[in-house]
Amino acid sequence: MTGGHRRILVVEDDPETAGQLVEQLTTSGYHVDLAASGNEALSRGAAHDYAVITIDRMLPDIDGIAVMRQLRDDGIAAPFLIISALGEVDDRVRGLRAGGDDYLVKPFSFVELLARLEALGRRSETVAKETILRVGDLAIDLISRTASRRGKDIMLLPKEFHLLEYLARNQGRIVSRAMLLQHVWDLHFDPSTNIIDVYVGRLRRKVDDQQAYPLIHTVRGVGYCLRAPR
Amino acid sequence: MLLAKTLKSSTFKLALIAIGTFGAIVSVIFTYVYLSTASYVRSRSDRALMIEYLSLRDAYARSGRQGLLDLIGERTTDKSFEGNVYALVDPTSKLLGGNLAAWPSPPTSPSGWTEFRASAPLPGGSNLPLVRGMLETLPGGDRLLVGRDISDLDHFTARIKLAVISSVVLIFLLAAMASVLVTRRTVGRIEQINATSRAIMQTGLDQRIPLRGSNDEWDRVAENLNLMLDRIETLMTEIKQVSDNVAHDLRTPLTRMRGRLETAYHGKRASEADQLLIGDTIADLDAVLRISSSLTRIAQIEGQARKDAFRTINLVEIASEVVELYDAAAEQYGTRLTMVGDREVPVTGDRDLIFDAIANLVDNAIKHGRERGHVVVTVENADSGPTIAVGDDGPGIPACEREHVFKRFYRLEQSRYTPGNGLGLSLVAAVARLHGARMEMRDNAPGLRFELQFSPPNSQRSASAGRDPAENTQ
Repeated sequence: MTGGHRRILVVEDDPETAGQLVEQLTTSGYHVDLAASGNEALSRGAAHDYAVITIDRMLPDIDGIAVMRQLRDDGIAAPFLIISALGEVDDRVRGLRAGGDDYLVKPFSFVELLARLEALGRRSETVAKETILRVGDLAIDLISRTASRRGKDIMLLPKEFHLLEYLARNQGRIVSRAMLLQHVWDLHFDPSTNIIDVYVGRLRRKVDDQQAYPLIHTVRGVGYCLRAPR
Repeated sequence: MLLAKTLKSSTFKLALIAIGTFGAIVSVIFTYVYLSTASYVRSRSDRALMIEYLSLRDAYARSGRQGLLDLIGERTTDKSFEGNVYALVDPTSKLLGGNLAAWPSPPTSPSGWTEFRASAPLPGGSNLPLVRGMLETLPGGDRLLVGRDISDLDHFTARIKLAVISSVVLIFLLAAMASVLVTRRTVGRIEQINATSRAIMQTGLDQRIPLRGSNDEWDRVAENLNLMLDRIETLMTEIKQVSDNVAHDLRTPLTRMRGRLETAYHGKRASEADQLLIGDTIADLDAVLRISSSLTRIAQIEGQARKDAFRTINLVEIASEVVELYDAAAEQYGTRLTMVGDREVPVTGDRDLIFDAIANLVDNAIKHGRERGHVVVTVENADSGPTIAVGDDGPGIPACEREHVFKRFYRLEQSRYTPGNGLGLSLVAAVARLHGARMEMRDNAPGLRFELQFSPPNSQRSASAGRDPAENTQ
């Protein structure tokens, strides 16, 4: 990853939110540029090659979606993360249809934002066409759709396999519950129960019980992370 | 006031037009009747006079002036010719015979038909008779008048005329009265509706339009308006209740947060305790946000805006995904979660919302059913349409409480302390309403069976016409 690819453009008009974002993202090792209006976003977005551009739906001058369209038309390939206070699915989906790559609803936790940025940044790298994903002693065969640890098969339901695959593709990164719902179940709402935790809990029992070390880690208040011990 | 409104109303104007048209037709018919009656009567009497005249002229031709005078003398004394008028004058207009006191002067015409008022009564009569007669100059230069007293006939036609005119007037009067009454009734009903509307605007939604029990179209209009008012009132009450509940449910975590922060603010900084405090506060904030987003979500679903995203989906597919998702949760409660029914049950709808609704039902069934119980999800093409049912074998819901469970924030007494915010079933209800699906709660003996009956995907429009014209497959 080059230095340029840790560079992020944040388009946000509220000074306090913008300040928090810049501070936290900088702490996390990103180089952050800030644009407080649509016009500023247009000029900055065209001037640099950003790893990700986060854009607020409601800007004082130009609508966030319009800014995004304009930048896309100008040939800017950076993935867009739409941040919206318009919390409903319609708006989210509209944002994605207009060329957004992911969305986040205000208010969000910073860890969630970071998880999404990581996933988007990775998406802009070339994804190798692997047939077997490996995390520690876990092997996931994408052709036969089976998983095993140390050669011992793990019996998984189709969705459990899908979930494990998604975690493995994001190995080492935090994946939030909302991201799991979105990518594994294609659901664009929060079921407001702990159902995902219960589901992951069972997957964890299947994957980690009676093994040398655990692979699925809970990140309190956010989600999960699949990683092998160093 | 009412009369002024009556006269101004469109019903009354219509009635006036109807009366005018009807009256004109009646007048024409009656005039025709009058004219033809009068001319018929007159022509009959004219024919009789002509015959009489011809027989007198015969007598004159046969036996001259004296013969004619004899015949006239006979006729004037004959009772059966009473009412007839005769007069014969010589060329100098000297009266030679007959029952007329004098030759009519001025004679209207030298010959032909004439009508005049006699100058003296006929013998035996008292009134001056109105005479219609025929004048003719005889070959010898004498002039003959044969006539008839038509006073009676005249009276008769005058009477007919009077009858015709008065009946036309009467018809007009009756029609006018009837239309005023009808219009008044209409205007009265409309006024009643208007008055109720005004009262509602001024005092509140508890007023209803009174019904007359006549079951006519006015009663039906009033009935429908009342139903509409009922629905609005229910919604308003619900909103009030909800905002009270929202206030309560939001206040609890907000109060906790405030108290916590205040204690921390006045206390000493202790990094360990602060960390804990901040963590708890974030968790409480998340709870508040969840409630608020659930409410927006329900409101948005009820706003019906989501129909644009409707397409044909397989209910079985969604249900099996829900069942798979909740399988782990069921395991935790030791509950067996199974699915039965058909392989393909298509409906028209929004996948996310239907998923959410089924998830809520399954979630409820697992949480409120019996521990180590059995939850069955049935998806089938029933006769009534695509149906999904979620049944448990727990304590169920008493029949009297069933209708309340759809209310936002409603919780049964028995489950007040289990997790959940009481919004689940209102979401299910909102989703069902959006899809024109029927919701039913049945006794599963034991337990509760919750059913959602959809309309078949291609007949969605006709099956739910009126309320939910949900047909969108673009």
